[in-house]
Amino acid sequence: MEIVLSDITMQFPGTRALDGVTAGFRTDEVHGLIGENGAGKSTLVNILGGSLQPSAGMVQIDGRAVRLTSPHDALVQGIAHVSQEGSLVPGLTGAENILLGAEPKRAGAVIRTGALRAEAAALVAKWFPQVRIDLGRPVGELPMADRKVIEIVRALRGAARIVILDEPTATLPAREKEQLWGIIRRLPQQGVGVVLISHFLSEIKALSDRITVLRDGRHIRTDSADTMTEHDLVDMMLRRSGGANLRGADAGLRKDEVVLDLADWQVGGVHVPQFSLHAGEIVGLIGLTGAGHFGFARSLHNPAGARCARMNVAGKTVQPGPVGQMQAAGIALVPDHRMEYALIGEWTVRENLAMVHPTHGALGAGVLSIRREEAEAQRVMKLLNVKAHGSGQLLKTLSGGNKQKISIGKWLYGAEGRYRVMIFIEPTEGVDIGAKAEIYAEMRRLAAEGVGIIIASSDLLEIESVAHRVIPFANQRPGPEIAQSGFSESTFIAAISGTAA
Amino acid sequence: MSDLTKTGPASNPDILFGPIRKDHVQRYSTLVVLVVMFLVFALVVDKFLTPQNILNIAQQISMLTIVGAGLTFGFAAREMDLSVGFAVGLAGVLVPLLLVKGVALPLALLAGLGAGLVVGAVNAGLVTLVGIPSLIATLATGSILFGVNFLMTGGRAIYGGLPDGYLWLGQGKVAGIPVLAFFMLAAVALAWFVMERTIFGRYIYAVGGNQKAAELSGVKVRRYRAASLIVCSLFAVVAGTLLAARLGSGQPNAGERYLLDGLATVFIGMTMLRPGTATVLGTFFGALFIGVINNGLNLMGMDTYIQSIVKGVIILVAVAVVSRSTKLNLL
Repeated sequence: MEIVLSDITMQFPGTRALDGVTAGFRTDEVHGLIGENGAGKSTLVNILGGSLQPSAGMVQIDGRAVRLTSPHDALVQGIAHVSQEGSLVPGLTGAENILLGAEPKRAGAVIRTGALRAEAAALVAKWFPQVRIDLGRPVGELPMADRKVIEIVRALRGAARIVILDEPTATLPAREKEQLWGIIRRLPQQGVGVVLISHFLSEIKALSDRITVLRDGRHIRTDSADTMTEHDLVDMMLRRSGGANLRGADAGLRKDEVVLDLADWQVGGVHVPQFSLHAGEIVGLIGLTGAGHFGFARSLHNPAGARCARMNVAGKTVQPGPVGQMQAAGIALVPDHRMEYALIGEWTVRENLAMVHPTHGALGAGVLSIRREEAEAQRVMKLLNVKAHGSGQLLKTLSGGNKQKISIGKWLYGAEGRYRVMIFIEPTEGVDIGAKAEIYAEMRRLAAEGVGIIIASSDLLEIESVAHRVIPFANQRPGPEIAQSGFSESTFIAAISGTAA
Repeated sequence: MSDLTKTGPASNPDILFGPIRKDHVQRYSTLVVLVVMFLVFALVVDKFLTPQNILNIAQQISMLTIVGAGLTFGFAAREMDLSVGFAVGLAGVLVPLLLVKGVALPLALLAGLGAGLVVGAVNAGLVTLVGIPSLIATLATGSILFGVNFLMTGGRAIYGGLPDGYLWLGQGKVAGIPVLAFFMLAAVALAWFVMERTIFGRYIYAVGGNQKAAELSGVKVRRYRAASLIVCSLFAVVAGTLLAARLGSGQPNAGERYLLDGLATVFIGMTMLRPGTATVLGTFFGALFIGVINNGLNLMGMDTYIQSIVKGVIILVAVAVVSRSTKLNLL
């Protein structure tokens, strides 16, 4: 059986998630599907799994046009979707989960528990004879890999010929991963094709017969896995901003003053053995989604769950603690997704700017002075060249670039130079080219004032434009750093597609 | 480019002279409805537009406004306090009870405030330390308070022997204006000042406006969520203390209607000024709205259950308006 999606377009309000994508999937292969966040992988498999109906394009099974109107409909046609989040009921046993909705019944209502257990065990034995799972225990108590197996068996219990596995190993410990890999590899031999989505390139390479690369909703290439190196894959996945290199004049570094010094920083699965940042320096962090660079950058300002052997900020020893404590030590964060993490849309520009340091314009005893607040807001707006009708304009009505300037301005309002380390995550996400150049200029200005800057971005050209040196991340570890003289797209790509595990 | 960079409030003439803008319609339509309603009552109902009746309305809504002002803090931080009605009742029996037992007036009043502090602290602890959503936690503490109020009085009203100084708070007049009206205005002024002109209020709004952004700006989110619930209870016990003085007796179930009406004032208030956000002035207008309706319908001889139906419909309309313009997410 072969299922072919031809010329699929998916239009959502405001965005086109897929743009004329054509891809075919077979029952005798593991077909890897890769792309960065937003490339359209999820949309594509949701169409394949019947959860979404494409705006345009055709779906064919063995040359016959079909419409997959719901997940159930897709299942009837032989396509099962095992989603990333997991869809098991934690309180029910493995057997109950496998046969959920298809329980053997007596008189149409009473579940025959004995038959249910036997039937579920038979299904597991049929597909994965080598696997031993306790089907009598609530799945909430089972190891993650066993839960995935149960989900897969449930997907296969009907007449599924193609099963979509969305990030199946994302939640698994390393040891259990290999167990699941073995299971995935076997499926095509039993006549069930796999569509595999994974952020781990090494996994995609190891398991897939063919690989399809998506980028920004477009199909880039489908080919046999042997013909593409990991370097090729990354090269195809990365989006290019298409702008010019916006490298500006640099002020000299102050190599003598270290503003951030870390040893053995651990957070989540990320481990950074050593990291230091100098005054006036802009360090770029790059990596693919899930490589750990974003998590590391965020954790410096919000170190919940982080551990370290040493943390020095501007020469003082600091214990990782709540956000307020990190700010007091001199660390600021301009996060990605600014409307979610940084700003309040219903507030005015002035109120947003004063969010971190309302005390600046205060009269004492916690009483605000609107007049002083206004003056400071005007100063920051002017400094950052914010285009607004006034400081009283509602934030949500500003353009993306101006919103981002306010997100930066929060750390300039009333700060009086107290921030020595500023972290920028995807700083020009949804920002037009003019504002982009202004934001880079602001980062350089801050650096010239002696701030150490960390920028984590998936836009390599952006990193090339502003950073003095780059630390590539792969598999949640930093790789060897790249000096400015070595900056090029191909060195970056080579560095972040590193396979060391 | 540079023509847009001019800043300052006067640089946008549209605000003053431009065509009627959508957000202005949104901001002021409820206020227009209030004014129209007021005028209709003034024309249709005989005794509506008399100085005496206007003072009546002020007196009638004073406790409600105070409860609403407290609830505004909670709503601004996205916390809902369903125990306020019973907190009103708690102070409404505790203070008279102490007075009847011969406790000095200032001490009895302080005890009322103290009870509010305790209720608020318990609510706050359940929500921020134990992690129960405020809607559920305060539903439960409300039920507990309901029982406590009846236990304290044995289910009877407390009356007789209340000192004149106490009764004056609820029944007295200064220059022909009810003392209660002064309490109401003082409570509104205080609440407005704290919400709009202090860092405390700013952070309450920040927590309700975008909790994640507040947290990543260094705001101690938990502390402000807790504080918002404590303020709810404190305003409620003030209202309860005044209510018993007005009634001249402590009645364990007298506070109950202040929950629904109090929520209604906030919801109505959220449709105006800053749509989707609870504001003190909005709540004040919300209380006026309810006061005018109650009073007008009363004078027209409508039964109280008709008033209840009308109020229910108004709450639904208000909430529908609010949730259409913003995402109303309180649980």
